[in-house]
Amino acid sequence: MKGWSFVAVCAIAVALWASPSLNAAAPPTATDHIVTTAKAFLSALDDAQRRKVMFAFDDAQQRTRWSNFPVSFVPRGGISLMEMNAAQRSAAMTLLAAALSPTGFKKIQQIMDGDEFLKNDGNGGRKPMFGRELYYLSILGTPSEKEPWMLQFGGHHLALNITIAGDRGVLTPTLTGAQPALYTMNGKTVRPLAAESDKAFALLQSLDAKQRDQAVLKYRVADLVLGPGQDGKTIQPEGLRASAMNPEQRTALLDVISEWAGILQQEAAAARMAEIEASLDETWFAWSGATDVAPGSNITAYYRIQGPTLLIEYAPQRLGGDPAMHVHTMYRDPTNDYGRKLVAK
Amino acid sequence: MMKQAIALVAVLAIQRLASAHAVDEYVQATLLSFDGDRIGASFRLVPGTEVASRVLASIDTNSDRLISEPEQLEYAERFLADVSFSIGGAPLRPTLVSVGFSSAEQLREGLGSILIEATADLPRGGTEAALVFENHHQPQIAAYLVNSLLPRDRNVRIVAQHRSEDQSVYRLDFKRSAAGSMGLADE
Repeated sequence: MKGWSFVAVCAIAVALWASPSLNAAAPPTATDHIVTTAKAFLSALDDAQRRKVMFAFDDAQQRTRWSNFPVSFVPRGGISLMEMNAAQRSAAMTLLAAALSPTGFKKIQQIMDGDEFLKNDGNGGRKPMFGRELYYLSILGTPSEKEPWMLQFGGHHLALNITIAGDRGVLTPTLTGAQPALYTMNGKTVRPLAAESDKAFALLQSLDAKQRDQAVLKYRVADLVLGPGQDGKTIQPEGLRASAMNPEQRTALLDVISEWAGILQQEAAAARMAEIEASLDETWFAWSGATDVAPGSNITAYYRIQGPTLLIEYAPQRLGGDPAMHVHTMYRDPTNDYGRKLVAK
Repeated sequence: MMKQAIALVAVLAIQRLASAHAVDEYVQATLLSFDGDRIGASFRLVPGTEVASRVLASIDTNSDRLISEPEQLEYAERFLADVSFSIGGAPLRPTLVSVGFSSAEQLREGLGSILIEATADLPRGGTEAALVFENHHQPQIAAYLVNSLLPRDRNVRIVAQHRSEDQSVYRLDFKRSAAGSMGLADE
């Protein structure tokens, strides 16, 4: 009997192991996918390239080696797309696509395409300091499903600082920008930061006179307040508090915020949006500048969204003549830049 | 003090360049911070390309196209003379803590920045106060920004901020308490 029981148990165990439905491993997570693509990218590099692209996770200098400026003015670490062959470039973009949402990936491609447009300037001239190949990728730490590591990607008007720690992902600090902020490519009009402009303007328009009086600052804000080099700082918030908004306006505010939080892959973005929504009452919306916009164009006003774990700034630039055509934006979590909180855990 | 400030030049000089892209303006961004019984001021100055030569001329006083350490300190002191802090009408005396300059070439190209840090003692006593900060440095070409960091000192609470349209004049109303907690206040 005992022998029969042992055989039966073994048979059941084998049957369970063989059963596809019960044996199936846990589905791969977003982090699994990112790590797989990161390893594939690193495998595609030669030894010299790999040494160039990898940094220690706690390399403070590399972490902060980002800017809105072109790479010829502020050199980035890592290797550029220009230094990669076609297969390596494809692996790099596959890694980025895994780390970002489809809309986030599209946004950064449009920013890079804008730089390509700037390089060719539409008048037959060429400006070699610009172009879609002058974007650099670096990895801080070792890609891992469990241990924290960072992926950086950036160049002119783009700095993605992505910290991955287990199933959590952090996108702050991240800088996006565009110049030209409106261009035509393959017969299509492209505005890389159109949603950031249009959604914020729609929110402003939805405010009543009293709300608008609070939201619209009475002074000019000429630039980003907490741009590159201003990590971990929190300024006194101003403007209209979301607790004074109606449900539709609060939803619209979250929708504006999602233009930055949603750059990251969907699981991490959803967690981030939940965190922001939980403290929405303490989130402020401030606007400085023109309260109108030309049809089909970007706003020329500065705006800021600030909460306990959030800072977003949208700052049109005068360089180039039309501020609507040149925009810098900043996305921060002053409590968690470079995933500081995740790593502390 | 001068040697200490010079020692900090190199440290500050490697900080990230500012994000300003204005070509015809001299962006002057001030960040104020409460630190116990002192107020700290961090100034980030970024001349645009079209005004850089004018700014540089006021720094490179011997016109050798270099910015020496004495020239850096001299400019920082002149800058501090153009700004003022007061509480309840009584002026505060800011002390230079450190300076950092990008190279003359970077500044000339509109890619550099100047960092100046100063501190001033706050008067003792009183639970409510209004700090007034004014910046009148190179007003013809200036684009002023001024903000306060959230106080780390939980006994200090910012009540309101008021600015002139060009941010050259800033008033910060704040409260101090022995055991109060810091919160965000409506304007």
